[in-house]
Amino acid sequence: MDMNIETPEDQNEENSRRVQVRFKTKLKPPQKVPSNSIAIPSNLTRFGLSSVVNNLLQAVNPEWKSEPFDFLVNGELVRMSLEQFLLAKGISAEKVLEIEYIKAVAPQKEEEPSLHDDWVSAVDGSNPGFILTGCYDNLGRVWKAGGVCTHILEGHCGAVSSVNIIKSDGLKYVTVATASKDQTLRLWKFDAEELVNHPKKIRSFKILRGHKASVHSIAAETSGNMVCSGSWDCTISLWRTNDSDAAGNQVSIKKRKGNNQVEEPQLEGEAISTLVGHTQCVSSVVWPQQETIYSASWDHSVRTWDVEMGKDLSDIFCGKALNCIDIGGEGAALIAAGGSDPILRIWDPRKPGTSAPVFQFSSHNSWISACKWHNKSWFHLISASYDGKVMLWDLRTAWPLSVIDSHKDKVLCADWWRGDSVISGGVDSKLCVSSGVSIQ
Amino acid sequence: MRERKKSSAVEVSSVKKKKEKKTKDNNEPREQKEKEESQSIMKQQKNTTSRSKKEKQRKTTEDYESLRESELSGDEVHGTDRDVDNADDHHEEDQTDGSEGHRGVEESDSSEDEVAPRNTIGDVPLEWYKDEKHIGYDISGKKITKKERQDKLASFLANVDDSKSWRKIYDEYNDEEVELTKEEIRLVQRLLKGKAPHTDFDQYADYVDWFKYDDALHPLSNAPEPKRRFIPSKWESKKVVQYVRAIRKGLIKFDEPKEEEPKFYLLWGDDSSAAEKAKHLAYIPAPKPKLPGHEESYNPSLEYIPTQEELNSYQLMYEEDRPKFIPRRFTSLRSVPAYENAVKDSFERCMDLYLCPRVRKKRVNIDPETLKPKLPSRKDLKPYPVACYLEYKGHKGAVVSISTEASGQWFASGSTDGTVRIWEVESGRCLRVLEIGEAIQYVAWNPLPELPVLAVSVGQDVLILNTGLGNEEEQRRVKDLLHVETPTAPDDNMASIVSWLQHDKLDGIRLRHFKMVSSVEWHRRGDYLSTVMPAGESRAIFMHQLSKKLSHRIPFKLHGLPVSSVFHPTRSIFFVSTKKNIRVYDLLKQRLIKKLETGLKEVSSIAIHPAGDNLIVGSREGKLCWFDMDLSSKPYRVLKCHPKDITNVAFHRSYPLFASCSDDCTAYVFHGMVYSDLNQNPLIVPLEILRGHTSSNGRGVMDCKFHPRQPWLFTAGADSVIRLYCH
Repeated sequence: MDMNIETPEDQNEENSRRVQVRFKTKLKPPQKVPSNSIAIPSNLTRFGLSSVVNNLLQAVNPEWKSEPFDFLVNGELVRMSLEQFLLAKGISAEKVLEIEYIKAVAPQKEEEPSLHDDWVSAVDGSNPGFILTGCYDNLGRVWKAGGVCTHILEGHCGAVSSVNIIKSDGLKYVTVATASKDQTLRLWKFDAEELVNHPKKIRSFKILRGHKASVHSIAAETSGNMVCSGSWDCTISLWRTNDSDAAGNQVSIKKRKGNNQVEEPQLEGEAISTLVGHTQCVSSVVWPQQETIYSASWDHSVRTWDVEMGKDLSDIFCGKALNCIDIGGEGAALIAAGGSDPILRIWDPRKPGTSAPVFQFSSHNSWISACKWHNKSWFHLISASYDGKVMLWDLRTAWPLSVIDSHKDKVLCADWWRGDSVISGGVDSKLCVSSGVSIQ
Repeated sequence: MRERKKSSAVEVSSVKKKKEKKTKDNNEPREQKEKEESQSIMKQQKNTTSRSKKEKQRKTTEDYESLRESELSGDEVHGTDRDVDNADDHHEEDQTDGSEGHRGVEESDSSEDEVAPRNTIGDVPLEWYKDEKHIGYDISGKKITKKERQDKLASFLANVDDSKSWRKIYDEYNDEEVELTKEEIRLVQRLLKGKAPHTDFDQYADYVDWFKYDDALHPLSNAPEPKRRFIPSKWESKKVVQYVRAIRKGLIKFDEPKEEEPKFYLLWGDDSSAAEKAKHLAYIPAPKPKLPGHEESYNPSLEYIPTQEELNSYQLMYEEDRPKFIPRRFTSLRSVPAYENAVKDSFERCMDLYLCPRVRKKRVNIDPETLKPKLPSRKDLKPYPVACYLEYKGHKGAVVSISTEASGQWFASGSTDGTVRIWEVESGRCLRVLEIGEAIQYVAWNPLPELPVLAVSVGQDVLILNTGLGNEEEQRRVKDLLHVETPTAPDDNMASIVSWLQHDKLDGIRLRHFKMVSSVEWHRRGDYLSTVMPAGESRAIFMHQLSKKLSHRIPFKLHGLPVSSVFHPTRSIFFVSTKKNIRVYDLLKQRLIKKLETGLKEVSSIAIHPAGDNLIVGSREGKLCWFDMDLSSKPYRVLKCHPKDITNVAFHRSYPLFASCSDDCTAYVFHGMVYSDLNQNPLIVPLEILRGHTSSNGRGVMDCKFHPRQPWLFTAGADSVIRLYCH
């Protein structure tokens, strides 16, 4: 995304109409332009507008280094020429147009990919200190930034299908959970701060058995005391992460770790409760609030579960088998889900009476395998698809903000990391990190 | 004088007509009214403003003076003219003069009467003087010489210049031009309108009864009024009664009200209207020739002339589509050549008349759309597989057979490269490759979800293999089941045909047959499986029981080569298809229930509806038969859709879908709704043609199977790719 400063005066001015615009922004002063209205040619696109703003900034501050901006008119991003945009939206070009500009959201840098031995099936970037990945070679891995593996989680006898960082607050040790196609879930604890030269193999401290088929997805409660898992046996099971004696045992394990790792006894856990209702594989679960679990399934439905009662409160039927779900956006209430077709759908469950999606993004070419909201922004989310692309979406426009095309084959998982990076893993056994996504 | 006036009146009328033409556009009566009004106003004004009147007088007199002068200067004959003019003058003066001017008009009239005609020949035809130099004699007996005839053009030009020419008329009798005064013209106008010539003459004056009898002593008749004038007539009433009776009896009939003919009719309507047809049954009007247009002109406008490109494009057209006439330009009509096809055309026309009598053609007016069966829209029949999003690549040879696991998480595929692969549906990952080493014929996954076992037919063997999926407990059970004690102790004749052996390399059982096994089919309980050996003749079909490791030959006689077999989904019924027919056996009672005649040349595949009453059969000639077994033993529908062999057909387990795949590299998806109501026939709607496979060695799609839970279709291609078509 390089910026050639092209003055709009260079363009042929006679055959282009001009519109009066006033630029405004919520950005901090060095990026603020004087708020008087100027006339610009109406055939400018985002790039042209961006260069106009950069010129204005340079006029005020000669040391200003140009950077790309994105432009909002009436809460929608300008994605064609200004003239066409105004025509399409029915906005009068006679008045002075208020254009708000924000920093363009696009990855700036492609970091060193982290190579795995097999397909990367799951990724979690909720901890800014490290990335947790699950792989088809039955191992989980912990990565410190690009390409540096610190821990290897060993123990599953089937491909890891989903990983989740349970909690990391306050404690030195981080607890993570993994779900696998060997029908079990495992909980792991490790020291994330620990400095190691070569990857350290660790074993799980607890195995959760109870599913009768492959476990497909896992999600932890916000407090970290419980996890839920969706499986191919059509159920969602709830598990406790720390039994009453867990704290005591954990110490003993740690003591024994030095002596003999193989002989280490592992805890086994039973499901606290099982949520039954889906008729097919539960492909994705999320647990954004204490009392509700959202789940997406291949039976074409998105269900909302009340944890206390163990019943589903509502369901949205989509018509397609769903692969992924995430909750976020405005008021952390929008449901984004993708599945066995190239359309990313977003529902607003607060809207009464309708089960029609409020947004549909259809730039992908194949199944959508993952979708994630940005945890700070109301507008931004990413989606990964089997067509090998990760797309960055803004709710304010129907086109993707940017397309990350670093994978050569299907992308199986994607997540945000540190709020400004997009991490994604796929069939090409790589974990790609695209950083520099500036979302204010 | 009267004579003169008459002729002048005639002349005036013609002049007047011209004049009127101008004003005719306007509303005539209104104009009159206005005139009258203006006149009355003028009269009033005359009383009040005398000065303007005087001015006007002076002006008119001046006008006439000048006119007289001009006449005097130009003419020889004006001795009497002056008198007339004088009279006119008088009259004009009178007219303009009088607010009480009836007398003036009368005077002018009398003065006009006084003027004697110049010519004294009397009432003789004027032709008599036609060749003379004079027109007659004046009162003193002198000849009145004819005026010099003015040239028409000159007179016309004079008329044009003279603004008063319209009121000039030529008096033939006196051979002079007379200019009518305003009053005269008004008089003429009034005459033309059929009014009395003078304004003061009241046509509708009140009747004045000069003879009044009111005060007379004696009436004309003194007789009293007769009585009959006061009583109703007897005769009349009799006549009325007579008529009334006649009407009541119906002797007198009133004319029925005439049917009103339509006031307007289509003047240029088609001659072959319905009325005409009704009149003459056999009459067929000749087709109307097209009327010639501009393009038929010898010198049509440029836009009708085809360009060279258009002419070239005509050459590319079919002879029949080519335009018959190509417009050309000629400088003159003379240069138009004779019609080159004249003889040929007339000959052909004669031939037509001779050979092809016009016969009324009975035309059936049926909208072709109505002949189509009413099918529901495809949109309403969603979901069904539409687009391919996933491909499963890894095989190195043509994929011959696929089979899905009961839950839909995995499926297995067998290929000619000697491997069986187990795939994960959702990600497209190949979980396991089982190296068999020989081209696979058929794979079938056990229908029980807790028994992940695969039956594979390879050459003369049927392998029952452990897929290695499922948890440990299941694996233990599978291992127990797939263990064969080495000393199998069957009766001797069976041993020679089928033997149960442990597979050496892979974890499973090897069932050795004596001939090539073409297909394997599991029973729904997952314990029995049937194998078909097309070359096995009387021992072509076997039943194997996995739990007891036993094999049976089916106790039925087959007529023809068996192709495939299938178990009824709910009852103990077994279907065996031979090349021509399908036989339905009851396994419990061990007898033939039904024989279905396909009418096909060679059956290739068979699939049964999950409810068990309907069957689809695919054939090598590309036809698909749907049998409703409650209905008849003949096909309910035969769908001819594939241009090449149908390789396989499949029903969906829960959705009302079925599919067929063919060597033409396509798979067809149909909606096949079966109703529980016996009166309602199954509804079959073609939905989608799925393309994407490429042909290899003349083979296209080798197998198709539906996903057990989703409306998705797997297709196995000879191009070694397996595709998943999603909704």
